[in-house]
Amino acid sequence: MGSTDSKVRCVIIGGGPAGLTAALELSRAGVEPIVFEMDRQVGGISRTVDYKGYRFDIGGHRFFTKVDRVHNWWMDILSEEFLVRPRLSRIYYQGKFFDYPLKPMNALLNVGFFESVLVGLSYVKAQAFPSREEKNLEQWVTNRFGKRLFEMFFKTYTEKVWGMKCTEIGADWAAQRIKNLNLGKAALSMLAPKVLTGKNQITTLIEEFYYPRLGPGQMWERVTEMLEERGHPVHLEHRVKTIHRDGEQVIGVTVVDASGKEKRYDADHVISTMPVRELLNVLDPPPPADALDAANRLRYRDFLTVGLVVESPELFPDNWIYIHSPEVKVGRIQNFGNWSPYMIPDESTSCIGLEYFVQEGDELWTASDEELIELGKKETDKLGLINADKVIDGVVIRMPKAYPVYDHGYKENIASIREYVDQVPNLHLIGRNGQHRYNNQDHSMVTAMYAAENILGANHDVWDVNVEEEYHEEAGADKSHGASGERLVPQRVREASPIELLNDVFAKYDPVALGGALGVMIGFAVFLATAILLVQGGENVGETLALLGNYLPGYDVTWTGSIMGSLWGGAFGFAIGFVTAVAINVTVSIHLGKLLRRLGVLEGSLG
Amino acid sequence: MNKEHFSEDEWKTIGQAIARLRASVMAVTFGIAGGLILFMATSWLLIIGPTGGSEHVGPTLGLLSNFFPGYSVTWSGAVVGLFYGALSGAVAGFVLAFIYNLIVGLRVR
Repeated sequence: MGSTDSKVRCVIIGGGPAGLTAALELSRAGVEPIVFEMDRQVGGISRTVDYKGYRFDIGGHRFFTKVDRVHNWWMDILSEEFLVRPRLSRIYYQGKFFDYPLKPMNALLNVGFFESVLVGLSYVKAQAFPSREEKNLEQWVTNRFGKRLFEMFFKTYTEKVWGMKCTEIGADWAAQRIKNLNLGKAALSMLAPKVLTGKNQITTLIEEFYYPRLGPGQMWERVTEMLEERGHPVHLEHRVKTIHRDGEQVIGVTVVDASGKEKRYDADHVISTMPVRELLNVLDPPPPADALDAANRLRYRDFLTVGLVVESPELFPDNWIYIHSPEVKVGRIQNFGNWSPYMIPDESTSCIGLEYFVQEGDELWTASDEELIELGKKETDKLGLINADKVIDGVVIRMPKAYPVYDHGYKENIASIREYVDQVPNLHLIGRNGQHRYNNQDHSMVTAMYAAENILGANHDVWDVNVEEEYHEEAGADKSHGASGERLVPQRVREASPIELLNDVFAKYDPVALGGALGVMIGFAVFLATAILLVQGGENVGETLALLGNYLPGYDVTWTGSIMGSLWGGAFGFAIGFVTAVAINVTVSIHLGKLLRRLGVLEGSLG
Repeated sequence: MNKEHFSEDEWKTIGQAIARLRASVMAVTFGIAGGLILFMATSWLLIIGPTGGSEHVGPTLGLLSNFFPGYSVTWSGAVVGLFYGALSGAVAGFVLAFIYNLIVGLRVR
């Protein structure tokens, strides 16, 4: 079937936020969009599943963005239907709720005095005996916070979400993701007003958020209606079988509908939000082998929600709870009535979503719905959150390829794929799976808006949408972390490169730290020695030690003198430590310089 | 390995790392050094005997007994000094490394 008039025709693969945004933008600009969605409903991972009138949000989608254009777009579509909802999310661990983001006083009260002491000792131990290597997440976090805090707040949830042990996750991720969190700042925040601890307006904004009355899917259902009104219905349950290519142009797609009937649609442009891996496998003729191999190496993390209907009007006040308890598999629990009361048709009931982070084909993924519902009941009962006898119904929603995995080598794979697709100017890759990037809804929408404008003649780089910059749960966070355009997800531990090994060999001493340490020690030693003699008493107390007064003006073996002595000792110690560190560093630098000259990195003679 | 193996930016990273001290290693090192220093200082005075017209050996070093009960400038005192020197050295090494790592940690974050 070809275009029947002079209108530009754009086939859009995928009826999620990116695909539908592109469709509406193009439709408004006079281009003919034809949207194919493989599923039986629109919205992608932002859909809202209706089960007997109960509405389930897949993952929990706050409508919070710092991209004005996206915010205005949302308001334009659903203005009257938006609710402003308070946010409450907590961590559940060992039967206690911890505020999230963590608040030190709340955490201390929850863990109790004895555990707090153990946490403190574990912190001291980590400072005294830091792990020599910092290659993985566990080593990095433990070195900074101690083993106990690591096990409480980092280990279990991270492992549940990413399906990797913390010892397999590279330290770089932790360094970038957690660097703004430190115990000193946390302690200050316990005592100081917010203005001193750098909290600002963003914090307030994330304490409440916009949410469509009937869940995020309402947005995409409305957009679908608008497209229909404009004469561009979304084709549900249509799987793309082939994308036809002629040289460096895509010319059409063949789709298969629910009945198995195939149909070919010609296209001037194709916008794809389907997983890149699958996209390259349906191109005809196939792409070069290296691009196809790279696509086949991409991996995904999958997700399933066990929805439970509970005979109880109120369960807990949170929108969602992070489950850090290691004895259960559930990672997060959504309480949909707290997202929007309109998601629950019967006020005497509640509706929760138990989220399991899984791998397609694994034990949980392949379990039957009945087994999963039983597991959900058992786990919530075990956690003490819900009485299993009160669960009156349940449903399972599986979401394949929910998260693109950034494993070792994914960057090279994407680069190889882009090298090929960039040569096909009328093929546009957008959205989370379309770009294999951990985009949120709003940034997927921006890629769609850019792609639509490119079709109309603009020249945006759809890969240049910076998804990291706009997301900061913690106010005042440094915006420079993470590579541009990448939301941080963990990567596997990798072997140290020769450069890193050399860097370790030629590591420098921190003069201020060595000076500080030596200063504290010598100052304390002088004070202690004087104090011991004063306590012992007797005639001519500390006659010999008092000779230090020859070098430390004002020092004598008295209590006042002990203070003077400790100050002088501190100053001398600092100077000695500082000079020693500088001397060592200069010596190391000389040797490094010689090595670099020998390797030809530096110009000049070996000296 | 030569210049071509890495980019200019990668080469520039060398020498940027900050060293950490291992408290256990520092404690052992300072402990051994402290014990040996006090043992050898005591032994040396015992070997050379009284000096400067004094009847006593090591009257000044002997003042350490104010801080180290049981220590004296005698052969048995040298052994006690070995213990005290090692103990104080180990504590000093441990605390030095601990404070150093703490300050580095605060400055790096």
